[in-house]
Amino acid sequence: MKTLLLKLEPIIWFMFGQGIMIGTMLLTGWILVLGILMPLGIVDPMKLDFARAQQLFTTSLLGIPVAQLLLAALVVLPLWKGAHHVRSLLIDMGGGERDGLVGTVLYLIATVGSVMGIAAVASL
Amino acid sequence: MAGSAHPEAMAPPKPGRTRTAPPQMPSTWWSAPRIRTYLLFDATGIIYFLVGFLAIKIVGQLAEGPGAWQAQMKALENPLYIAFHVLALASVIFVAVRFFRLFPKAQPPSIGPAKPPPGPVIHAMLYVVWLGLTALISLALAGVIL
Repeated sequence: MKTLLLKLEPIIWFMFGQGIMIGTMLLTGWILVLGILMPLGIVDPMKLDFARAQQLFTTSLLGIPVAQLLLAALVVLPLWKGAHHVRSLLIDMGGGERDGLVGTVLYLIATVGSVMGIAAVASL
Repeated sequence: MAGSAHPEAMAPPKPGRTRTAPPQMPSTWWSAPRIRTYLLFDATGIIYFLVGFLAIKIVGQLAEGPGAWQAQMKALENPLYIAFHVLALASVIFVAVRFFRLFPKAQPPSIGPAKPPPGPVIHAMLYVVWLGLTALISLALAGVIL
């Protein structure tokens, strides 16, 4: 498993890098408005009722589904940042004896989550 | 709790020519600010994992229909969700500030014939893109634009 992870390292690092860069950039506004300001009533939740949310998250530009692509990046990329940093944390705190198994499980969770996320966005 | 890291963790399959000391976690890691910050940076991965899966659930509920979406928005008003999102916001800001400071230092001296801009310029550009995207997404979600 360790050998497989080393072979896949370029892909893992690419997804991790995008997760930490693009994921962070996209998540900030999402968490701020959807997770804090709307639940606290500072921003009216009706501004994002079902009809508007559907319209906003399926906005296209020149035939390109820009909003869905951004939304897919927002839900998928943080999983890879999460998987890689949790793996790194577990190595630091508990040693690397089980790193092959732990890393494989974490990246599998990120892969399954990515498929689920893309499917959810595509179904809008 | 703190064990020594495995010397072969993340090592390439064939050893390089340079001898390196095995990485070891000092038993006093909790009193070393740099290690604490480093571990905290890694620990934000747990938050990113949870935020990612929660975002998938939210999008899934939107796909389910108006009733499910309404229920999801109502569920986000739970104080536990709000507290989690406050922690998540602190995490993404921490990651952004730390990573954007490190990013210019990780640039190669040149990419082909082109040289990357000076570090402070890259640093400023990252902040402009981050704050610009955050403003754009916030205003769009809040119904001010689009």
